[in-house]
Amino acid sequence: MDNFEKHIRENASAFDAHKADRAKMWANIAAELKSDTPKVVPLWKSPLLRIAAGIVLFIGIAGFIGLSVFGPGAYGETQYASKELLDIDMHYKGLVSYHVKLVENHPKLSEADKAEFLSFMDDLDAEYEQLRLEMQKNLDNELVLEAIVANYKKRIELIENLLKQINDSKVQDDDYGYTL
Amino acid sequence: METNIRFTHQALVEKCKTGHSSSQYQLYALYVDAMYNIGMRMLGNKEDAEDIVQDSFIDAFKNLPNFKYESTFGAWLKRIVINKSINHLKAKRIAVVPMEQHEYHLHEEPIEDMVAVDIKKVKVGIEKLPSGYKQILSLYLIEGYDHNEIGEILEVSTSTSKSQYHRAKKKLAEIIKTL
Repeated sequence: MDNFEKHIRENASAFDAHKADRAKMWANIAAELKSDTPKVVPLWKSPLLRIAAGIVLFIGIAGFIGLSVFGPGAYGETQYASKELLDIDMHYKGLVSYHVKLVENHPKLSEADKAEFLSFMDDLDAEYEQLRLEMQKNLDNELVLEAIVANYKKRIELIENLLKQINDSKVQDDDYGYTL
Repeated sequence: METNIRFTHQALVEKCKTGHSSSQYQLYALYVDAMYNIGMRMLGNKEDAEDIVQDSFIDAFKNLPNFKYESTFGAWLKRIVINKSINHLKAKRIAVVPMEQHEYHLHEEPIEDMVAVDIKKVKVGIEKLPSGYKQILSLYLIEGYDHNEIGEILEVSTSTSKSQYHRAKKKLAEIIKTL
């Protein structure tokens, strides 16, 4: 750097002769900065989101109506989750109601025994209702189906046990005459 | 010591980063005249200088979160003003480096010593320089950039910056002689 260059650099401030129009320039800068601040646009004001919300609402309403008219509940309480369950139900229901009638009408059973037996049956009925509702939720749930079958079997087993007890006591009564 | 200089107006800059408008005005007031003078030297007219300085401040405030005190705020802002000025000249197809290619000149012709030159005459002389000469001379002599930095700003090699500056200086000496 020669002496001329040093001389200029040392006096560089002498070249700042102009004065900016501060107010005018700031007004433009401030306006630009203000307009650039992120605007909070409410979601519902966006036309795109309005359309999207409309579609979601429509689907929701249509789905609700569709489920009410054509859904599983549409066929009432007798609606069954599957054909398989319907067959099982028909078979065991008939079997159980027949046996229950037998017990109820059995002349040798006391009222207390009948009541105890029927309370067991009521418990199993409640369990069956639970399982049936589960079955409607999970159409292909094999475990629920197995539990329903087990529930029926339990009821029949209960009836069979009761009838066996009655028959055993009858045999004992009959045999008494032959015992010496 | 250098570190302290880099953090000049740090408190103000930090407030500006949060979008504090009165701090933004304070920082603007501190630098606007200096930036406007740079704009005037680079562009040569009031309207363009105002536009470029306004845009530079807007860009600076918007990009302030990216400012990490690697230089002073003033130096950072000055570079924005200069880059914008060069881009503006390029957009208007005004030469930012002299058209003559002097990279092949192995010997720089000696320039008569101008030590005792009056600053006023230098100012007038710079005003009379053709575009291209004026910018490179201002960048080196007044803005204080070295030839590496000028090479980056003008997108030319360091040797081109040196040779073109030498030529501009020679031209300035010739003009001053006539004053």
